[in-house]
Amino acid sequence: MNETLEKLVAAIKTGKRKDAKSATATALENGTEPQLILDALTEGMNDVGVRFRANEIFVPEVLVAARAMQKSMDLLEPVLVASGIEPEFSVVIGTVQGDLHDIGKNLVGMMLKGANFKVIDLGTDVSADAFSAAIKEHNPNVIALSALLTTTMPSMEEIVDCINAMDTDVKVMVGGAPVTQEFADKIGAHGFSTDAASAVELAKKLCA
Amino acid sequence: MPNKDLLLKALKCEQTERTPWVPFVGVHGGSLVGVDSEAYLKSSDKIVEALKVAADRYRPDGLPVVFDLQLEAEILGCQLSWAKETPPSVASHPLDDDYDMDSLPEFSVEKGRIPLVLDAVRRAKAELGEDIALYGLLTGPLTLALHLRGDDVLLDMFDEEDEVPELFDYCADIANQLVDAYIEAGIDVVAVVDPMVSQIGPGHFRDFVAKPLNKIFDHVRSKGALSSLFVCGNATRNLEAMCETNCDNISVDENVDMVQLAKIARNAGKSFGGNMQLTVVLLLGDANDAKRDAVRCMDQAGEGNGFILAPGCDLPYATKPENLEAVASLIGDNYQIDIARNLPAKDANDSFEDVVPPDYSKEEAVIVDVITLDSAGCAPCAYMVKAAQEAGKAYGKAIEVREHKITGRDGLGYMTKLGASAIPSLCVDGKEQFASIIPERKDLVARFTEAAEAK
Repeated sequence: MNETLEKLVAAIKTGKRKDAKSATATALENGTEPQLILDALTEGMNDVGVRFRANEIFVPEVLVAARAMQKSMDLLEPVLVASGIEPEFSVVIGTVQGDLHDIGKNLVGMMLKGANFKVIDLGTDVSADAFSAAIKEHNPNVIALSALLTTTMPSMEEIVDCINAMDTDVKVMVGGAPVTQEFADKIGAHGFSTDAASAVELAKKLCA
Repeated sequence: MPNKDLLLKALKCEQTERTPWVPFVGVHGGSLVGVDSEAYLKSSDKIVEALKVAADRYRPDGLPVVFDLQLEAEILGCQLSWAKETPPSVASHPLDDDYDMDSLPEFSVEKGRIPLVLDAVRRAKAELGEDIALYGLLTGPLTLALHLRGDDVLLDMFDEEDEVPELFDYCADIANQLVDAYIEAGIDVVAVVDPMVSQIGPGHFRDFVAKPLNKIFDHVRSKGALSSLFVCGNATRNLEAMCETNCDNISVDENVDMVQLAKIARNAGKSFGGNMQLTVVLLLGDANDAKRDAVRCMDQAGEGNGFILAPGCDLPYATKPENLEAVASLIGDNYQIDIARNLPAKDANDSFEDVVPPDYSKEEAVIVDVITLDSAGCAPCAYMVKAAQEAGKAYGKAIEVREHKITGRDGLGYMTKLGASAIPSLCVDGKEQFASIIPERKDLVARFTEAAEAK
């Protein structure tokens, strides 16, 4: 890895958006392969994920890292598209009906992007119908459901029931502050993760 | 029961003769009186009606009057989105573009839904306040700041070091206006609910959140009331920092290890509460799940003062009332607590194949299986065994009374295989005939006769 890409990795790890932007611009000007730049972003976000899971850093630190990554992606994305580099797997993500909280969902979405997933974000307060329509339209590998309110967890169950009743191989993963493995098992979800970093590992496992 | 003074003592870490119980009836109150959450949270009549139902059915020592963390945000210009079975959510953030707090509508406890909440407090105080401590809930500074500014607050803690403390201080001042109004209306305990604390680390908590929280807790104390810090979500990493604040009590949800909280809180001289599982147990589970989980909380809280049994957070709308009634039935009843402690885990995949009841139809005698906690130490169990023995003598024909104690594998096996619905349970030739209630002798003799005739 050259010096510019090392700078990019460091900028992602510490959430320095200006540094991330300038390192990406320099790398592109120097003719660095877009895939290598993407790999550097993935490396940075992986490190963030590891520290997040180890309780060394928390949501705000992950958000600044993701914001720095987004600054880099703004420059990189058009180049990736032009080079025909496309993510292998796709995830449809959303916060379940009745719940307008999106920090957790956005974090998972950003971490998934950092791990080179195609992410289709349906936003918040998403109904079972909207999820099934998205499955039909995008044929994703994984559906990721988020809930922050305990009171909206029943809506999560409704959506899982609806998806499981469809003729599809899509895997459903669930998460959010009040969600537990026990609850995930109970409603028939394929996977549960406690945080955004493990969600990426889980998505990879579900796609394998 | 209920016993407000006992709860207040526990909140102050004084010794109490039993564990106090505070079910957080928020939107669940709507289901108790048959209206959706919007109709509920907009009507002091419905709120007071539900509190009376909750007081009657759940026999609590304390109750929150309203659990809605959007009350202040609504007045300050956040748009709310209402749902049928949840509290409203904030759908817009008026400080999205900048930190211009002067541009926000002026806050007043005369605005929005606060007058109806205060009306509910006054009426609940008059009707229930003698026996039940009333909790007044307000939005903690971090959560209110997020309502006003959006997620950017979390990023701004890195870049906008001057603006963020100003906003948090503004939020604490809003909270203190509500504290004054609550205490004047008769609130006993002010709960500062700051669920977003579970999303930050102890560094940010100490740097940004502790100060505005203390501004509120100090104000509550100066008014002679008690304060609690409610945090939903996994706040484990922040427990020590939370216990460094000036609140009297910390309340947490199921994501936090109660053993760890008990240790940290007691070291800091704080009372603490929680953390019954909201969905898996109280919403989706049954009465036995609720009892087991209540005992799990009490056991994890351990010996010592200052523990308050409560759900982890706002009870889901459709929480089964019978589950909360089951918890109420345990409170202060060591016998029920012992039984719940011995209930086999629901997910235990134990079919007790080694415990084999006889083929009752082939037994000459009528077989009476009495499933007990232990007749030596449990009065209702002893009466049930004695009733069976006495009725056996009165029956006068071939009969055998066997006690199975659920403190051992034999008892648990019989309980599972014969489907005992409560302890003590009396089964005649393998069928449960009486559960919990001790039958009269003539009724028992009649069942013995029927069983003998059926052989």
